[in-house]
Amino acid sequence: MSEELTKVRFTNLNKIIFPQEKITKKQLIKYYIKIAPKILPILKNRALVLNRFPNGINKNGFYEKNAAKGTPVWVKTTKITSKTGKTKTNYIICNDLDTLIWIANLASIEMHMPLSTIDKLEKPDFIFFDIDPEPPATIKEASTVSLLLRDKLKKIGFKSYIKTSGKKGLHILIPIKPNKSFKLARKFVHKIGIELSKENHKIVSELSETKKPGKIFVDYLQNAQGRTIASPYSLRANPKAVVSTPLEWSEIQKGIKPSQFNINTVIKREKTPWKNILNNKQEF
Amino acid sequence: MIEKTPSSKRPIWTGSLTIGLVNLPLKLFPMIYNKAISFRFLHKIDGHPLKYQKVCTKDDKVVPWDEVAKGYEVSKNMYVMLEPKELEAIKPESNKKIRIAKFVDYLSVDPIYYNKSYILMPDNSKEAYSLLLTSLQKKGKAAVGKITLRTKEYPVLVHAYKGALVLTTIRYSYDVANPQEFKELKTLEKPEKTQLEIANKIIQDLSDEFEINEFEDQYKKKAEQLIQQKLKGQTIKVEEPQKEEAKELMVALRETLKQLQNK
Repeated sequence: MSEELTKVRFTNLNKIIFPQEKITKKQLIKYYIKIAPKILPILKNRALVLNRFPNGINKNGFYEKNAAKGTPVWVKTTKITSKTGKTKTNYIICNDLDTLIWIANLASIEMHMPLSTIDKLEKPDFIFFDIDPEPPATIKEASTVSLLLRDKLKKIGFKSYIKTSGKKGLHILIPIKPNKSFKLARKFVHKIGIELSKENHKIVSELSETKKPGKIFVDYLQNAQGRTIASPYSLRANPKAVVSTPLEWSEIQKGIKPSQFNINTVIKREKTPWKNILNNKQEF
Repeated sequence: MIEKTPSSKRPIWTGSLTIGLVNLPLKLFPMIYNKAISFRFLHKIDGHPLKYQKVCTKDDKVVPWDEVAKGYEVSKNMYVMLEPKELEAIKPESNKKIRIAKFVDYLSVDPIYYNKSYILMPDNSKEAYSLLLTSLQKKGKAAVGKITLRTKEYPVLVHAYKGALVLTTIRYSYDVANPQEFKELKTLEKPEKTQLEIANKIIQDLSDEFEINEFEDQYKKKAEQLIQQKLKGQTIKVEEPQKEEAKELMVALRETLKQLQNK
């Protein structure tokens, strides 16, 4: 047999996915191939939600939770019953390179992951803060808030990790041992948000206040079973093919522009800021 | 894998080569194998091999051998039927002789005419065999003659090859097309001198010895691997090959696979 590097049969490689930058599906797949060593460890054993754009980002995309018909037998999936018990969803698990490539070949730009793994669905292994600036507030204000948050977490003994959302905000995560409930995690994030909002009038901690111009929302709501976040190193469906990129805190201090981390630049980054994140699960 | 290799013990023909009054007793062995991979047709349902049967075009009924005759199509759907006796009568006589008529420069016979080669071995005639072999080698000559094998007469060349005498049957001229019958050749232009010089230079630069072992039958190799896998009970999934446009991805894949292995 000829050398088979992958089980995936590539299709429509020359289809334009990001029209503004003329980025093809081939480049999309190439990005995920190259980023595989960094993204695969984090995606491991998580029930993924894909955001697919078969006709490019200017046409409607769709979220896909249920593994589509025609999913090859070698793609690992897991059936999860919804909380209400009404629906069963067959989620895709991406634990190997072939699956990652297969997902990319579906023109799946974004990968969204839950904050818990399939062996302990109801116990989060990440605490998640979504720092969301409302214009005219920008990444600059979000960065300031993130640094305040980092210091606060440090004081109470947590090492935190930051990434760009790939859109306008920042994501801060604390890897934890999966032995506490989502409810507790959510309460904790909410409480920290409230404390921060007392220290800085630009910060808001409640959903109802988020639409006020110039405010920065510390969003706690994604800390719930079944909710997902854009995974680290996921591409985002925006014109410049920006990547949700793990950063070092020093980069935040210097100041960043989210679009500087995109499909072309992220694979060339030598920094691996989150290298030890999975070995640093803290007691919560 | 079952391979048919000719036994060196059993000649397919014995006889002698005659040049004028000289007789050289010889044995003829096959030289050309057909080791390319071949398959049998099977019945998909039960896996049994299929056989051919002669079926009459009139009523689609199987015809037994004793009702089979030979015919020649003289015009469309018009046949002359020939009796076995009649054909037997015009068969060339197998006189167990390779009759040599003349000697030619071996390389003056274009390989287009070569049909099939056989190895000649001495039959209690080592001295004479060695003499003919050595003189053909030294002069670069080949003997031209005729042989009757089974029921057919063939023109043949007897020549030296790797320290042995080899007999090569030659095609009749009616079996070889004349390329000059193509009208494309009538309008060929003479190349310009400068271009000819460039072409000569390229040929000169790429000139090398011919080496048959540079070529390998990839299809045969893969088919044999496939059969081995099947024998081990592995299931084979037939898949389309990756397209040329995926080449760049293959390069990236190799790099990533390497990185993942090193972890």
